[in-house]
Amino acid sequence: MNASVIDTTAKGAVETEGRDGRGEDDGTIGRSVKRQDLLEKATGHAKFAGDIVLPGMLHGKIKRSDVAHARIRRIDTSKALALPGVKAVLTHENVPRVLHYGSPHPRSASVTRDQYIFDNKVRYWGEGIAAVAAISEEIAEEALDLIEVEYEELPAVFTLDEATAADAPQVHDRGPGGNQVIDPIRVSRGDVDSGFAEADLILEGEFEFGRPTACYMEPNICVSQWDGNDKLTMWSSTQTAFMVRGILAEVLGVPLNRVRVLVDHMGGGFGAKQDLFQHEFLCALLARETRRPVRMEFSRKETFLGGRSRHPGTMYLKQGFRRDGTITARQARITLNTGAYGSHGPGVTTVGTTALTSLYRCNNVDLEGRCIYTNTPIAGAFRGYGVVQVYYGLDIQLDEAAEALGMDPVELKLRNAVREGDLAPSGHPIIGHGLEDCLRRGAEEVNWGPVRQATRNQDGVYRRGWGVGCEMHGSSAYPGIKEQGNATVKMNEDGTVTLLTGAAGLGTGAHTALAQIVAEELGVAFEDVSVVHGDTDIVPWDIGAFASHTTFMVGRAAQQAAADIRQQLLAQAALRLERDAADLAVRRGRIVAVDGSGSSLSVREAVSPTPGIPAAHLIANGTYTPTKSYSFAAHFVEVEVDTETGQIRVLQVVPVHEFGKVIHPVAAAGQIEGGIQQGIGHTLSEDYVVDTSNGRSLNAGFVDYKMPLAMDMPPIRTIMLETAPDPGGPFGAKGIGEDPIIAIGPAIANAVYDAIGVRFHCYPITPERVINALAGTD
Amino acid sequence: MKRVDYHEPTTLEEAVQLMTRYPDTASFFAGGTDLLVELREQTRRADHVVNLKRIPDLGMLTFDPRAGVHCGALVTVRTLENAPFIRAHYAGLWQAARELASIPVRERATLAGNVCRASPSADTLPPLIADQAVAHVYGPAGRRDVTLEDFFLGPGRTVLSHEEVLTGFSIPAPEPGTGKSYIKHGRRKAMELATVGVAVTLTLDGDSVRDLRIVLGAVAPTPIRAPEAEQVLIGKRPEPALIEQAAEAAIAGSRPISDVRSSADYRRRMVGVQTRRALQQALEAAR
Amino acid sequence: MKRMITVTINGEEQELAVEPYRSLLDTLRVEAGLTGSKKGCNVGDCGACTVILDGRPVNSCLVLAAEVDNCDVRTIEGLQHAPDRVHALQDNFMQYGAAQCGFCTPGILIMGKALLDENPDPTEDEIRFALAGNICRCTGYTKIIEAIRHTARQLAEERQGVES
Repeated sequence: MNASVIDTTAKGAVETEGRDGRGEDDGTIGRSVKRQDLLEKATGHAKFAGDIVLPGMLHGKIKRSDVAHARIRRIDTSKALALPGVKAVLTHENVPRVLHYGSPHPRSASVTRDQYIFDNKVRYWGEGIAAVAAISEEIAEEALDLIEVEYEELPAVFTLDEATAADAPQVHDRGPGGNQVIDPIRVSRGDVDSGFAEADLILEGEFEFGRPTACYMEPNICVSQWDGNDKLTMWSSTQTAFMVRGILAEVLGVPLNRVRVLVDHMGGGFGAKQDLFQHEFLCALLARETRRPVRMEFSRKETFLGGRSRHPGTMYLKQGFRRDGTITARQARITLNTGAYGSHGPGVTTVGTTALTSLYRCNNVDLEGRCIYTNTPIAGAFRGYGVVQVYYGLDIQLDEAAEALGMDPVELKLRNAVREGDLAPSGHPIIGHGLEDCLRRGAEEVNWGPVRQATRNQDGVYRRGWGVGCEMHGSSAYPGIKEQGNATVKMNEDGTVTLLTGAAGLGTGAHTALAQIVAEELGVAFEDVSVVHGDTDIVPWDIGAFASHTTFMVGRAAQQAAADIRQQLLAQAALRLERDAADLAVRRGRIVAVDGSGSSLSVREAVSPTPGIPAAHLIANGTYTPTKSYSFAAHFVEVEVDTETGQIRVLQVVPVHEFGKVIHPVAAAGQIEGGIQQGIGHTLSEDYVVDTSNGRSLNAGFVDYKMPLAMDMPPIRTIMLETAPDPGGPFGAKGIGEDPIIAIGPAIANAVYDAIGVRFHCYPITPERVINALAGTD
Repeated sequence: MKRVDYHEPTTLEEAVQLMTRYPDTASFFAGGTDLLVELREQTRRADHVVNLKRIPDLGMLTFDPRAGVHCGALVTVRTLENAPFIRAHYAGLWQAARELASIPVRERATLAGNVCRASPSADTLPPLIADQAVAHVYGPAGRRDVTLEDFFLGPGRTVLSHEEVLTGFSIPAPEPGTGKSYIKHGRRKAMELATVGVAVTLTLDGDSVRDLRIVLGAVAPTPIRAPEAEQVLIGKRPEPALIEQAAEAAIAGSRPISDVRSSADYRRRMVGVQTRRALQQALEAAR
Repeated sequence: MKRMITVTINGEEQELAVEPYRSLLDTLRVEAGLTGSKKGCNVGDCGACTVILDGRPVNSCLVLAAEVDNCDVRTIEGLQHAPDRVHALQDNFMQYGAAQCGFCTPGILIMGKALLDENPDPTEDEIRFALAGNICRCTGYTKIIEAIRHTARQLAEERQGVES
């Protein structure tokens, strides 16, 4: 296959090169067709869960604790229940006490069962302790204040140091002890001692990671309704509708066919909407108790308190290098703070720890990852899932090594870049290796050598610097979870096609990509394929939209189903054309003979009823169980540092990504640009801060949790490569969702070093940290 | 948000009567961009809101080259931002106005509301004080005027009694040779609360500084003048070394706290940097 | 006690009974059934609820419904010219991929319209300045800004076409 480059810097239409000489009208893969969800979104008609209004609907609210660690000695709801308009109040005394998993992933995953809907204990400031349903939001809110709670406060741990100290108070009575969620994850290959003995240069570093949160624009929301047959219908903003169904059924004690979860559009998730949240259980229970529909919506503050953040933590990293740059050994100790509950902590710790086996090849590794409870808000899944943290440190240390060895960082990274056949973090050999291509293309694009030279010897107030950061990320959660993608494709009797998928529509454009894959495989127009999704009663089972796997895994399943339909279609056409199906093919909506002979038939004619022949009923399922595929990226960044205020401005970003095959260039570039926005935030300004004296959240809102906004964002020149297609992905495609948030962090940190000569081993790199470092007081 | 009663007086007398009738539980409501947020976040309790927007004549913004600006209590921050004479003659206030939150917020937020909220970090307060603005107040005892410099008592606290309503401001016309600036220091370029704000109003007489007011925001319980810093430059030629000395004096006069936005130490440093930069900007404008 | 208000929403005059403590946003979404305006923060920080009130863009969460008696409100549902004819901004948001999850999109489109009404030929910096209060967490703003700039050029060409 020819290498090709997709350049999204062109205005509007995306330019493509080297696309196998195909003409305009040929196929839909690689073309930025009009996304199927955007008309509704641009006109305000798209229905999100919060837009559902049902007759008689009540409003639910959660009362949250104002202590960080305590036993609930007494909770009195009588005054709240007496307030006119209040219909029900729930506390730990009247909800089912079922120990459940925080992350609703299938049991094949490493998840932890440590949560109750309500416990008689609270483990962090802001945890829900009671819920009210009332005829209006205002009355529900007033009722919360009438609930009286008496706590017996317990000693709490807020930092990793406190939680791991000898005799530290325990957040849970479970786990291997010492506030550990799980036994440490250990990965060992080769022999690090001899690796370090071989090294000409050994670097060690301690890194510290802040607590960014996803900040999806749509706060968590669900609406529940029980019908006369005791069946629950829930509209919820979730990435994992089938997982929500499963865990709700388990905890509520009803079979799966009595729980229906609906998700049409959702206002972002970024990984953090794949837990089962307190309000989802509570909403269902309040609706059951009152026999009325109940709506429960988080305030923005609650999305911080009750949502999930990235794991804060620390990492010790030591690597050995030969004089020529070859890495001889790598040793790391990663400690992640999961907050009050395990949630995705075990998975994040595993993925983060194992990620350090790769990116830059090294035969001798010794890695340990620990996951620790504290009395702070819950950390969970978030785009980049443990990899953001570890590659931040890894790539900064590579930059340090390059300087110490007198090499260019791009050269050092090229020397060590992971290659075909190397053992991936997942434990199987890597197929395709795009990292070198990304580094070379980016260096060429930004004119790397000369622009770096231009940043030497600056002495003004404002200083500029260039940096590069790299990453690789797996599509699918294998081997952590044995995954499966499913799709059902139907052809209607007019030749149009309906794809049924359980994959959630987070807004990435995945449904459009799936429709493109089906259209391409079938040989019909993209516009003839529609997508049905978001109803667990109708669509095939799906594990959920996460782990950069929807286009890769569900796309392949859809491709298989479409291929099956094509065979059925050709069999139908063969009857009508009186030819052998093997001699026929579908080309641009027509069934023609492969050799061009004889008459042809439109797809519609092949399946429509005609006198004597009924309409064809074509339906096929596809199921795909992937292993793993890796996408790669190198980000090149220019920054400017104000040395008097410490403020860092990102001036431009050139991200170069390799992901096998680009199905929809504009949507793919959109993933990259948005990931960079979040990554710039994490690296420079975003940090959800917990007061380490009492556990209170200090900036649970958009004023003090600092996301980069329109005026802060730099121009982004996205380059997408298709140099290492994956044979497992549809048309070679791999995942893209998580990749862009990873490489940007170290690229910025390295650029800051280039500008002012100060290394930061932490994020966010706040102005205050810059000023302190420049003043030598840090 | 909890339930509240809503009142729409059409005269100042009526507004004051309502406030008198509900001694502890009523709040004035003009733009609402602070009040509604405080009620939703339960940082303020009110059972009654008294909307001032139906009272006539509070929405006037006028400028006279001799008398200066008169700004009614209902004039929005966006109106100030778009007024050519504010941009031309009150550059510090103009800069503060256009950096306050976002356009949709500024379309509702009033200058009077920003003043009455009395947040230590409020953007418009330092330039108003630097420009010697006077607040016009109406209450049960009649009308009175208070200079903005004497208006603030602490975070959220002003000289206004519960029943008194701020009806507007007068801001003197600038003298020839005057330059003004406001620098807001924050993490982002917009949607910020200042971690430090510095307003400067400076009048040159030939080569030397005749008159100077430096006002600091977000570094004390109220916006504060920096008189020691002003004295460094008044009557002198504003050489770089003196400007640096004035910036140092401003640091010495500030009393910042540490919070989630910044440490006190960093705020102090930024008082120095931004006072110097604000002085330089005002000087350039004055020349 | 509910108050009766008369308000023109997207060109249609309506009488609504509103609780005095309800926001314009909640009133639009619940009483008027127009759920296009979104509640992303409810405190004026995110811009997802932006509507045009008497010609000016405002956060509808920071306006009480009781205040809009005899006012004119335009929401995202009223941006398109006709059911089958969308506004150029909407068309370009689709073409350029300027929406992803779509939750911030109504507010950004309304802010984009308010900007172009006031300044038909904005620079990139002016667009960013206008959108300062509209949080988008998906796109990095790149494609939003392209779409608005392209719309401005398109509308300018249309105006020229009409004049010549």
